[in-house]
Amino acid sequence: MKVPFSWLAEFIELEAGPTEVAEILTFGGLEVEEIYDHYETLGEIVTVKILKVEEPPGLKELLLCEVTDGREIFPVLTGAKGKVVPGLIVALARPGSKTFFWEKVEVKEVRGYKSWGMFLSPFEAGLSEDKGSLLSFPPNTPLGAKVYQVLKVSEPILEVAITPNRGDALSIWGIARELSLLTDWPLKFPVLDPSLEEGNAPLGKVEIWDEDGCFRYLGRWFSGIRVTSSPLYIQKRLIFSGLRPINNIVDITNYVMLELGQPLHAFDWGRIEGGKIIVRSAKEGEILLFLDGIERQFSADDMLIADERKPLVLAGIMGGEDSGVGEATNEVFLEAAWFNPKRIRMSTRRHRLTTESSYRFERKVDPEGVKKALLRATQMILEIVKPQSFSQIVDVYKVQYEPTPIELPRKKIKDYLGIEIPQDKVKSILSKLGDLTEEEDFYRVVPFSFRQDLSIPEDLIEEIARVYGYEKIPTTYPHGALYRVTLPKERKIIERIKEFLINLGFYETITYSFVDPKLITLLNFSKDDKRAHPIALENPISSEMSVLRTSLLPGLLLTAQFNQRREVENLKIFEIGKVFYRGADLAEERINLGVLLGGKTEPEWYEETRPYDIFDLKGIVEALQEILRQPFEFRPYSEEPFLRKGLSFDIYLGEKKVGFFGRFKSLLVRELDLLEPIWVAEIYLDALLPAYQEVTKEEITKPPKFPSTFHDVSLIAERTLSVERILKFIQNYGLSNLEKMKLIKIYEGPPIPEDKRSLTFRLWFRAEDCTLRYEEVEPLVEELVKTLTEKFKVLPR
Amino acid sequence: MNRSELESLKREIAEVLSRAQAKEDLDFLKVKYLGKKGILSQYLRELKNYSPEDKRLLGSLLNEIKEELEEALRKKEREILLAEEDKPLDLDLTLPGRKPKVGAFHPLSLTIKEICSLFEGIGFEVVEGPEVESDFYNFTALNIPEWHPARDMQATFYLENGALLRTHTSPMQVRAMKVRKPPLRIIAPGKVYRCDADVRHSPMFHQVEGLLVDERVTFADLKGILSYFAKGIFGEKVRLRFRPSYFPFTEPSLEMDISCVICDGKGCRVCSQTGWLEILGAGMVHPEVFKTVGYDPKQWQGFAFGLGVERIAMIRYGIDDIRLFFDNHLYFLGSFR
Repeated sequence: MKVPFSWLAEFIELEAGPTEVAEILTFGGLEVEEIYDHYETLGEIVTVKILKVEEPPGLKELLLCEVTDGREIFPVLTGAKGKVVPGLIVALARPGSKTFFWEKVEVKEVRGYKSWGMFLSPFEAGLSEDKGSLLSFPPNTPLGAKVYQVLKVSEPILEVAITPNRGDALSIWGIARELSLLTDWPLKFPVLDPSLEEGNAPLGKVEIWDEDGCFRYLGRWFSGIRVTSSPLYIQKRLIFSGLRPINNIVDITNYVMLELGQPLHAFDWGRIEGGKIIVRSAKEGEILLFLDGIERQFSADDMLIADERKPLVLAGIMGGEDSGVGEATNEVFLEAAWFNPKRIRMSTRRHRLTTESSYRFERKVDPEGVKKALLRATQMILEIVKPQSFSQIVDVYKVQYEPTPIELPRKKIKDYLGIEIPQDKVKSILSKLGDLTEEEDFYRVVPFSFRQDLSIPEDLIEEIARVYGYEKIPTTYPHGALYRVTLPKERKIIERIKEFLINLGFYETITYSFVDPKLITLLNFSKDDKRAHPIALENPISSEMSVLRTSLLPGLLLTAQFNQRREVENLKIFEIGKVFYRGADLAEERINLGVLLGGKTEPEWYEETRPYDIFDLKGIVEALQEILRQPFEFRPYSEEPFLRKGLSFDIYLGEKKVGFFGRFKSLLVRELDLLEPIWVAEIYLDALLPAYQEVTKEEITKPPKFPSTFHDVSLIAERTLSVERILKFIQNYGLSNLEKMKLIKIYEGPPIPEDKRSLTFRLWFRAEDCTLRYEEVEPLVEELVKTLTEKFKVLPR
Repeated sequence: MNRSELESLKREIAEVLSRAQAKEDLDFLKVKYLGKKGILSQYLRELKNYSPEDKRLLGSLLNEIKEELEEALRKKEREILLAEEDKPLDLDLTLPGRKPKVGAFHPLSLTIKEICSLFEGIGFEVVEGPEVESDFYNFTALNIPEWHPARDMQATFYLENGALLRTHTSPMQVRAMKVRKPPLRIIAPGKVYRCDADVRHSPMFHQVEGLLVDERVTFADLKGILSYFAKGIFGEKVRLRFRPSYFPFTEPSLEMDISCVICDGKGCRVCSQTGWLEILGAGMVHPEVFKTVGYDPKQWQGFAFGLGVERIAMIRYGIDDIRLFFDNHLYFLGSFR
């Protein structure tokens, strides 16, 4: 909320300047986000001297002036005939600035003549009612100077952030009240003469049909009024507060709202049919054309102010165009009401329509302040608009406001805050929040009607703490028993995986949980795959972020794209994060690991660069298998529709699929404008983490006592023969003392025939109780080779 | 041969040894003195011509010379062999090493880890929970009923199934208390979502929620824990200030500012010339929240706090655009190695 400092000064004896007041409010809980001079926001309005005045042919109404700001000479067109003479120093609003009334000033061109700004009248500069002359300055005034600085005119505005619980502070009076609570500076309230309550008989009737929505409704009639623009001081304050002046009646309602926090509404009584104001809930489908030119349709929860025939206003929110006060208005009905905040909010939410009025009603207006506001508006209308007559006040009070007393145990203050606050201080604070009575063990406070945010003892403790000052409360440490804290094994293993990948050169990425549905479509999931049906956001930021990801691949692919477009071509990236599926409850959330490997190895002086291949990725997944300590099974030819079948695997744990990896299809790489090759893996960690177990003592390998001996076996085999089959065969062959084995060399080329290759396996043997001699192992290996030769049609080399 | 002859031989040997520099010199000396026709061998052969008395004296002297020479040769040889390896090689040592390429943790991961470990150090347990939340946990249970204007404080993403994306990690307070008995100390890091996108706001960001419930824990204790955290992250010298604020699920509520770490409180662009940076929100747990989870507010008191991870990372690393975290440019990520 914008608080013009001069306005605030009318309601409280200020004993400090804007900066200090801002500090006090901020440390009292009303954060002042900014202090600025309103006139500075208008832009460059400067003094210029008129050098020459011409009447060029073809510019009937306009004069062409040559002016200078002391540095440059430039032309300005003006219609102020007879007021501009060479040598005169005037105020120029430069292009890009605004007049006081928010009229934008731009470079203009009329019949080929350019104008670099606009001369301001005192009125256009917001300085006086004088519209007829130009704002001018004595001859010795410096040129190019800021006009408002020359005139020493300023208006400091405090931009105050009001938290949603403090509807009572949404007014100048409310801020003053709060400031007084924090400082004890005396308040000043305008004197409202009791005669303001009187008047001739009412001109119409008021009925409340919707008692759930409207607790109290007051109004009065004014007749014989002349609607014109309001005096400058009212317009100025509205403008300082960010509101646009309309006419005297509407401006007064807004002025009082800003001043006291009570929204008011004025009707053109001539437009009301049947002589009656009815507060009722809307009928489904009723329609009203609003002041903002938009037609809205109501539903039964909306509350209307209506006459006997038609809706007039969406209660507490916005009025209809037809019943609004305009120049033709002769009789006015002025409303001051206390609406149910919940009902107002239901309507603002449904219609997505928030106004200064609804904002205040939603945050609770002061039920005891409604009449005061009506009287204050009456006072101003009598003074400014001078109606011929006005009516008594009609007051329909349906739901009485009943404050709830709060009992605050004396002991609780210290128990809660950790400090003893002097009793007289506590009493002084509480007495400014409501009617205070003291009992032996507790204070009883009946909060004032404007402090509806206070309802429990803790609320009062907060008031005491903030008025006393948070900084005066000491800094201590909690006492409490020590207790066991366990680190979940899931977090431990996730950290381990991250560290592992990072040490391999991978970068951890974090990408958005919402993705473009097009990317999901691009992955080509089959219809019965749950990943094909992401949960959509009702109100996404953009279509690129409109569904929850069902896979980590879209994010990784976009990251690859982002980087490759910025000349980072070789990529090793991963993400550990959640994917979301449609679930029985809110959603099924699963933690996945996604890996993307793209491009080539780095060129090095000791190593040729080469594109990443399937064995790079397979090796990483094999190592992850060791870290996760679970026996995955790699099934070649993945089912994933976006992977190249011949270069991919599905990962299984038993009969459960726990991931996949392989080469991302080239067509999709092209569609995404990526560089080949792209290798991806996704592992469903959630399926693996629960079964993860730390090393058991049975698994610990003791250092061997006797040395091992190894034996190499070279075979010439068909290229199509699977190495894994041979390894498995040897494994199961039952060689005694075989410790481990490994493929150590593949050779293709002469003298090996083209359809064959040479495979070399190394077999290590070790006995637990003696040193094995080569001769002991050799016959076993020879026999193995013989068997392999027969079984796999291979030749020893 | 007599004693003085042998003594001078001994000196001669010491001298030539000291002059030997290469392996070849040693080989030459070995042959000259120790070879079959070498000087010492000749003397030893001559011994048989002397009396037993002289044989014993001269013999032991000869043996002594021989042993000393052998020992000296061994030592010298070792010296020379070691020195030979010190000769410069024909190799450009300035070639870069075969360096394994190390990646990096995401800066937000690093920040979360650091925050969590600070709190784990004082007995807080890390818990995690769902990102897709119900209206109940995200709002109602936190004392933000359906038509409360406080809902405007957090622009919410709704899902087609009626659920929402949590707007803060505070639902974890409720979830944790529902399954645990007090006293408790938890810390809940995680992703949160709000419909906001500009230089300072990301529609997805991270928070860390903290909650401590015990029989007697005060607002002063809350200030203590928050100071511990701020000093742990930003250093001992950081200054703090606490401002009253409003969160529907805490009462009293506060916001904490730290002295700007860029300008040390003097005022700069990052702190909008104020010298202070807003860091977190906190407060004493609202009794309504305790009632919702079935804790007796007469017996239990507690405090909760929530902090934005991106904000802390931005301040620590001097980053002024939040989107950098989610662009994942490898150059940027590489700076956190």
